[in-house]
Amino acid sequence: MEIETKNIETTFHSIGSSSDWIVMVVYFIVIMLFGSYFGKYNRSTKDFFFGGRRFAWWLIAFSIVATGIGSHSFVKYSAKGFEYGFSSTMTYINDWFFLPFFLFGWLPIIIYTKIRSIPEYFEKRFSPSARFLATILLVFYMIGYIGIGFLTLGKAIVPMLPENFSVLGYQFDVTLMGVIIFISIITGIYITLGGQTAVIFTDLLQGGVLLFAGFLLFFLGISYLGGFENFWNLLPVTWKLPLADLTKPPDFNFIGIFWQDGVAGSIGFLFMNMGLIMRFMATKSVDEGRKAATFNILFMLPLSAIVVGNAGWIGKALSISNPELVPPSTSPDQIFVVVANIVAIPGVFGFVMAALTAALMSTVDTLINATAAIYINDIHRPIVTFFEKGKEEGKGKDKKELAAARWSSVVITALGVIAVLAFKNFPTVYEAHGFFHSTLTPPLVIAIFLGIFWKKFTPSAVISTFIGGVAFMIIGLHDPNLITPFAQGIEMNTEHPYSYIRALYNLFVCGAVAVIITYTTSMQQNLVVKIKSKINDKEIIYSLVSVSVVVFVLVVFNVGLVYIQLIGVLVLSFVVAVITKYFVKYDAVAQTEGLTVWSLVKAKEGFKGSKVNEEEGEIIKVTWKIKDGDDDIANFSQNDMRKMKANVGDLIYLCDARKILGGLKSVHTVYGEPHNEDGVVLINNEHLLNGVFIKGKLLTAEKEM
Amino acid sequence: MTSITHTWLPFLYLYGVGGIFFLIGLIIIRKSKAVDMKKKRHRFWFGVLIFGFFYFVVLHAIITLIALYW
Repeated sequence: MEIETKNIETTFHSIGSSSDWIVMVVYFIVIMLFGSYFGKYNRSTKDFFFGGRRFAWWLIAFSIVATGIGSHSFVKYSAKGFEYGFSSTMTYINDWFFLPFFLFGWLPIIIYTKIRSIPEYFEKRFSPSARFLATILLVFYMIGYIGIGFLTLGKAIVPMLPENFSVLGYQFDVTLMGVIIFISIITGIYITLGGQTAVIFTDLLQGGVLLFAGFLLFFLGISYLGGFENFWNLLPVTWKLPLADLTKPPDFNFIGIFWQDGVAGSIGFLFMNMGLIMRFMATKSVDEGRKAATFNILFMLPLSAIVVGNAGWIGKALSISNPELVPPSTSPDQIFVVVANIVAIPGVFGFVMAALTAALMSTVDTLINATAAIYINDIHRPIVTFFEKGKEEGKGKDKKELAAARWSSVVITALGVIAVLAFKNFPTVYEAHGFFHSTLTPPLVIAIFLGIFWKKFTPSAVISTFIGGVAFMIIGLHDPNLITPFAQGIEMNTEHPYSYIRALYNLFVCGAVAVIITYTTSMQQNLVVKIKSKINDKEIIYSLVSVSVVVFVLVVFNVGLVYIQLIGVLVLSFVVAVITKYFVKYDAVAQTEGLTVWSLVKAKEGFKGSKVNEEEGEIIKVTWKIKDGDDDIANFSQNDMRKMKANVGDLIYLCDARKILGGLKSVHTVYGEPHNEDGVVLINNEHLLNGVFIKGKLLTAEKEM
Repeated sequence: MTSITHTWLPFLYLYGVGGIFFLIGLIIIRKSKAVDMKKKRHRFWFGVLIFGFFYFVVLHAIITLIALYW
């Protein structure tokens, strides 16, 4: 093991042995083969991205573990655990506050409206221009997230590598970016081949491995320290507290992290993380989605908090009991690898490292798949529709889209690598991620949240939030003193000012723009009427567009005094609202029905296509037989339909009766006219291919609505 | 002596401010009838939401007490 001290931080190289590397390589090959196997379940883009809306809650809940742990990462929480103790867990135990909004607001809306991406919701609820801006912001968010994932992966692997190595006489330096590029190629392969079903099943496997590896490390660490009592007594009281100090230090304080993670982060994670949302969309029903989300937050997240942070706690105890072994100056982002290497024997260390890197890959592959979904739905499809109106429909089109989805995954992976450059200069991954959340989530968080829960929220208000809100945020980036009134006593770190509490400022400015513009709708309407009554109305509007662009550019390049910029952006927000009002046709009734929490019954009826049958019937077991024809209809006997309390036209979920499969072999269809053979369902060839049913195996039949 | 700014003030802030968001959420889903209390399943989920809030309150309180006095 090589130890190097740069400035005040101690960094490590060449940690681990050849047996560790063998274990890691074998693990990665197994995971890649496992993921690629599930590529056969992708018959369309719907399967590639959403896994065909078929899975049981437990499968999704466990597959979310790998995504959640990966995205928050062993590296960054071990770092904060090492620096500040058990309060590293607080971001895992503050997600409950927004669950009512999610379980009974966003989750049923995304499933019942059959949207394929968040921007698509913006088009239905507001306008195509709102969708366009949401796409831009969301793609930035997702690619930034991928960048953070790659950065963490690189930081985890680098300590295991030598400083340089030679091949055929040529010497190569091991650099962070070099390692990241190599990892991104491996990640890209199986996401491109596998799709969402591959992601769900590899994450299911990895979720279990991660929990095991994390607790194994904790157990080994405690044993190394001579038992739990020794470990507990070594830590100072402040290290044992579950929450950070209210306002200090600037790089880890409770209030800042509450607003950045507990509010912006939690809403961002539940409402706009397409990766997570696609998992919920892959559940067989809304109720299964609720179970998956609740189980995850109540039980899996607190366990995950221990799994990801304990290496830091053990590291802290070791740095007190044996400072020569673990210097207190150890680079926090390397503490996980350092501790794992000390407490685990060769081979086991390789296994722990494989679990860590696999976790991060889970997050990254989920995000790549989700970003590809946004690309296909919100960029590729609208462009193709525009240029090739009605040229190609059906399966040929879907095949092309599937190919485009795979290629876009490759491009997104590359962009994720480039995004690392924006974050690699932060002292720790935790702060990079905190800054990222504080800065990129607020406009979308406000827009989605008000869109779902406030019927009055208009297209003008949402577009002004995106443009005016972002402009206010940019002014806050240029002049952090604006954030001071929101800081509640948190000191400003001049190098990375208000990494966390800027989330509150950003949420406030975006929320203020949204509310002000909504409540001035009648003023905008009057102005638009006046403009439209002029002969030169087009010139007036295009002049306003030009002025808006100029003001926005001046703000981006920080031209002019701050208070002039603030007034300029306030005016800009109103002008953008007027321009939107001029161009966008908005039906406040049609575009809120079924799209806000206030009309979920309509959303459900829209999903079914007719009145919902809420009667609770039995779930029955049946054998299947193939019938001719390709209508999306399954036929049961009259008696079986009575048991299920189903009528012709109701929706049904058919699934292989083996519960262990978690809904992998299943299909959704519609009840057709009944026959007389009890215990038998007639399905067509398309159902068989989509459900991948096996001859002789029983199916369960469950009426959906 | 550990400062209250590191012990109970963050706890009160978390469940005070977070609790306001949570309460607003409960009110909205009830008023909008997204939760229909006539349905058994919805009553169950409403109970789960309230249980979850106090589950985390108790969890944090216990860990804080253990840290301070054990």
